[in-house]
Amino acid sequence: MSTFTPTVARDPGPLTRWFAGAGRRASVTVEHAGGLGSLFWKIVVATVRLRVNFRDVVEQFFIMGIQSVPIVLVTGSLAGIVTSQQGGYQMTSAMPNYILGSLVVQTVVLEMGPVLTAIVLVGRVGARITAELGTMVVSEQIDAYQSLGRDPVELLAAPRVIAGVIVLPLLVAIADAVGIFAGMLAANLTVGLGNEAFLYGARLFWHSWDLLYSLTKALVFGLAIPLISVHMGLRTKGGAEGVGLTTTQAVMFMTLTILILDAMFPPLMLN
Amino acid sequence: MIRYRNVHKAFDYPVLRGVDLRIETGELFALFGPSGTGKSVLLKTTIGLITPDRGDVELDGVSVFFGGKKALADVRCKVGYVFQNAALFDSFNVYDNVCMGIPEAELKALPRVEVARRVWRALELVNLDPSQVMGKIPSELSGGMRKRVGIGRAIVGRPEVLLWDEPTTGLDPINTAAIEQLISRLSDELKVTSLVVTHDIDGGLAISDRVAMLDQGTLRFCGTPDEFRASEDQKVQAFIDRAAAEAALATGSQL
Repeated sequence: MSTFTPTVARDPGPLTRWFAGAGRRASVTVEHAGGLGSLFWKIVVATVRLRVNFRDVVEQFFIMGIQSVPIVLVTGSLAGIVTSQQGGYQMTSAMPNYILGSLVVQTVVLEMGPVLTAIVLVGRVGARITAELGTMVVSEQIDAYQSLGRDPVELLAAPRVIAGVIVLPLLVAIADAVGIFAGMLAANLTVGLGNEAFLYGARLFWHSWDLLYSLTKALVFGLAIPLISVHMGLRTKGGAEGVGLTTTQAVMFMTLTILILDAMFPPLMLN
Repeated sequence: MIRYRNVHKAFDYPVLRGVDLRIETGELFALFGPSGTGKSVLLKTTIGLITPDRGDVELDGVSVFFGGKKALADVRCKVGYVFQNAALFDSFNVYDNVCMGIPEAELKALPRVEVARRVWRALELVNLDPSQVMGKIPSELSGGMRKRVGIGRAIVGRPEVLLWDEPTTGLDPINTAAIEQLISRLSDELKVTSLVVTHDIDGGLAISDRVAMLDQGTLRFCGTPDEFRASEDQKVQAFIDRAAAEAALATGSQL
């Protein structure tokens, strides 16, 4: 009768473990970068070849855009109100009050409008897309599309990404406008700054470039959110647990990407 | 004719280890094997849903993996695939789901009336009442009905080959028998080549012209149903015994 002899693997040591971990992370990063690049290229090809159904884009535009308007109105208003109140608290007695107008407009247009709207869309749209496509992967619906000779990139990915690129600048424009208006009202109520003084301050440091900056940010975020969410959704493995895990990872991935891209904009466009 | 040539595939562990198999035109072929032996993986390689690490699959002499995009598209047009859990599109109703089974170019060229007629006929062939189910979405259907709609979608494009991935899994004995009869009838009526991956040995043996058994990623047996039953291979016998015990447990007929 043979006896069972357990064997214990030799500990490779902390340095080897560190290099192995770093190698794995680098490999995953390269894999994601390659996957995103490949997906983006396929979407461009599908769009140029007019293989994307216009009705699907309109449907996604409605889901991502029209249905997001209420939450964007709320976050945009709150961004304006908070900036106005904080500015009023810090600046009154140190600077002329009308500077508050400039502060609110610049903060909302350059930063709060695009970033807060993008973060809201990560949760509302990005997570939904990842979960939806992930469920389609684990229930073999993506395989079914392929088996029927249909391309999931043309049918599912491209409409979402195209809609995202169109929708986000529009939502950011709404958030900017609402944020400035709410900030003006808040300045009036908290520090008694009249509307004309507020607008005078706003115009003082205003450049048309700022609006372009805001909308360019929105455009890039509008590409990043659906692209990452579709990429992650199509990579889902496992059952319901896999969908949950991938959705969580996608939300983290999208949020980090938005913040990193946001940090890259000032040196690229404001200097 | 479907030809598997030395197909290897590994995920975290080897799943297929050099499968060679030939299925003749018009044949109804059943593929058995314990869970995790790569039956569904082999089926998915047939239409390029999974790419083997080594080897190739040919359909009527056309290579699935080395023939290019056009060849793969042509292969997919010739093949109807019935998924294990039907894989119906959640957001489409039954009519649109079945419509998707018609190749894209054909769908654009056909008049709407002809498309509707083909969908209607496909649903009738799978014993569903089209007027009752066409407007329903998949969540409004029972498991058996979903499978039938999945079969309808696979046959509406008039395929030359039908691939069945565990068509009776999760169904009660009555529905299981009905689906098995359907597989046999459709293979006869539509004159298609059928490859059925199944756990249900009795059903598979009853309807098939030939059967094979996969074990640990390799082909353990290939022959007629009678040869399979009479096989003295220990693994084949053990698989038959275990499957019979599981079937008895499932139907509650065990003492």
